Amino acid sequence: MSLKSERRAIHVDQSELLCKKGCGYYGNPAWQGFCSKCWREEYQKARQKQIQEDWELAERLQREEEEAYASSQGAQGGQTSLGFTKFEEKKSNEKARKVTTVKKFFTASSKSVPKKDPEEKSGKPVQAGGRERSADILRDLKGLFVPPWELASSAEVLYDKLRDMKEAKAPSPSLTRQYSIETDRVSKDFIEFLKTYHKAGHDVYKQCKVFLETIHHKKESNIDELSEFTQDFYQNTADKLQMYWKVPPNKVEEAMDQIEKFIMTRLYKHVFCPETTDDEKKDLTVQKRIRALHWVTPQMLCVPVNEDIPEVSDMVVKAITDIIEMDSKRIPRDKLACITGCSKQIFNAIRITKNEPASADDFLPTLIYIVLKANPPRLQSNIQYITRFCNPSRLMTGEDGYYFTNLCCAIAFIEKLDAQSLNLSEEEFSRYMSGQASPKKQDTDIWDADTCPGVKQMHRNLDLLSQLSERQERIVTGAKKLEKDLIDWTEEVTREVQDIVEKYPLHIKANSQALASIDSENVEDDRLPPPLQPQVYAG
Amino acid sequence: MAAGGGGGAGGSSSSKTYSFKVVLLGEGCVGKTSLVLRYCENKFNDKHITTLQASFLTKKLNIGGKRVNLAIWDTAGQERFHALGPIYYRDSNGAILVYDITDEDSFQKVKNWVKELRKMLGNEICLCIVGNKVDLEKERHVSVQEAEAYAESVGAKHYHTSAKQNKGIEELFLDLCKRMIETAQVDERAKGNGPSQSGGARRGVQIVDDEPQAQSAGGCCSG
Repeated sequence: MSLKSERRAIHVDQSELLCKKGCGYYGNPAWQGFCSKCWREEYQKARQKQIQEDWELAERLQREEEEAYASSQGAQGGQTSLGFTKFEEKKSNEKARKVTTVKKFFTASSKSVPKKDPEEKSGKPVQAGGRERSADILRDLKGLFVPPWELASSAEVLYDKLRDMKEAKAPSPSLTRQYSIETDRVSKDFIEFLKTYHKAGHDVYKQCKVFLETIHHKKESNIDELSEFTQDFYQNTADKLQMYWKVPPNKVEEAMDQIEKFIMTRLYKHVFCPETTDDEKKDLTVQKRIRALHWVTPQMLCVPVNEDIPEVSDMVVKAITDIIEMDSKRIPRDKLACITGCSKQIFNAIRITKNEPASADDFLPTLIYIVLKANPPRLQSNIQYITRFCNPSRLMTGEDGYYFTNLCCAIAFIEKLDAQSLNLSEEEFSRYMSGQASPKKQDTDIWDADTCPGVKQMHRNLDLLSQLSERQERIVTGAKKLEKDLIDWTEEVTREVQDIVEKYPLHIKANSQALASIDSENVEDDRLPPPLQPQVYAG
Repeated sequence: MAAGGGGGAGGSSSSKTYSFKVVLLGEGCVGKTSLVLRYCENKFNDKHITTLQASFLTKKLNIGGKRVNLAIWDTAGQERFHALGPIYYRDSNGAILVYDITDEDSFQKVKNWVKELRKMLGNEICLCIVGNKVDLEKERHVSVQEAEAYAESVGAKHYHTSAKQNKGIEELFLDLCKRMIETAQVDERAKGNGPSQSGGARRGVQIVDDEPQAQSAGGCCSG
């Protein structure tokens, strides 16, 4: 992510541009500093010489084979039966075929490299012919591209030219690139897409092609140089689209995505996990590390995801699938999309478990847990590849960049993880790491990762059922006890009541006083005030 | 975008859009998430928050005719993830360091982060120290004077906020954006207006350059 604002200045001296032979024409680094004519002359000599040698070698080999065959024929000649001759014949045929194959192989370098050789690591053996051929193609390309102002309807013509070019290129497999179906499809889409940009699209296509050729010649150089070169290319193209062609920003972004797709589909093979770096070693280290940490439980990481909820465990599985899928994508942007997809699943899982939006405090531990569970293939290579060749505007700002950063954090954490970061004692940690002990696991964790989920579910269900029946028994016992208690209690109450009744027998006394009646005449009338009497005043 | 850390995207100055990355640092439970959710969604502790996550949020602003795209990156605040800080705050234009005014420890944490940020990113980054939960003034454990004096000593600004009562949050982000725009402008001026243009042009030449040269070479062959 060398996104320093100041970029490598390109310092080119006039003298460096001229042909090394001093013919006055411009030279080209692709032709080792010669102009194309001088380069051809120089190269022709070397090539002729090699072809000669190859021929000689092939011929010698054939001669030797023939001699060997003749001598074996002579030695066994006396005792050959009819059947044996037949066998010999077969054998000699086989030998002859072998010889021609060898011959073919040697002559190949002068004409064309075998087209579909699966062993061939495309690009690696920059054969004599390959280089020459690609130079030719480059020139063809240049010839094909008439300046835009000479094109009547640039898009139409461009399309036709491209088609012609493809056809023209088809019989020259020497470019040592194997155009897979996908690559073809991507190119077609790309051309279709660029049609909408008219002249700018034409220009972009030209630049992409030139860029690819340049990269092709730079193949042996350091991966960091290639990365910087690619990043420069992205920036230049974006700048040019915006400044020169006045393409609106959102269209620029769209175009940049397509450009990335187009060039990275082609470069993927050469720049993903290149042999010149120790990416592969790092991959293995991380993989081993994650394997050694198989015992880490969600509880240790404080993962706020409850996998007992079926919906949540589904999401966890999806997240794991997404992160593993990253390795299968070719374009950095698609790889980023996988990381984003994985993150979204994690957020969903957290949301369902906690019922609130996930913060980074929740997200990072969960992502770490997912990475530990998934152990995604070629993790470091993928990270490095994205860092080196992704369009920087996507990686620096934006959501994808955030999730990518989190993934980097997760890996950094896993690499440095120690007892303290899992809230374990040193002793426990080293015991788990050495495999002497494993933490007390929950029922759900007893099963290996590759056990069929159905079987796991069944076992879990059986456990649940046995627990249920246990509880049922307990309830039945409880109910019986309660019933007994109730019966006992009733009896006790009855007994007590009887006891009391016996102790204090009921004597019904004669009612000495009649019940008071409001209507009777003499109810406490002595306490009542005397009735009011009408008073008569005289006068 | 193109200028990465500088934060300014290319284009003519009139229609310039700034893209800023702001990291949110702070111990767990100081209310980082509530703060951004309040700012971006104007919601607090709401069961109906529709946002799926509160760890990466964006906001578009228009400050004095300048368009600003703000990307707010939440970071995991647990102690065990402290060492991962640099991966998060690399290339960021601003940092919001949140502490809980009722929790002295969280303020100490902020001090650690400030030291780290200044060491790694120098003065390029705009720092905001935020005392959150001012609605709990009665339980305050970090004195206002102390916090403000500290902020000044490290060249940061101090803010008082309450995500619960929606106090001071709008101001915090607005102020931060203004400061980031200033920094970006100073940065541009320091580089001069020239390099950004001629640099682009020069780099453009690199590819175009090949063309006439190759054409002349083609001519040499055919001739």
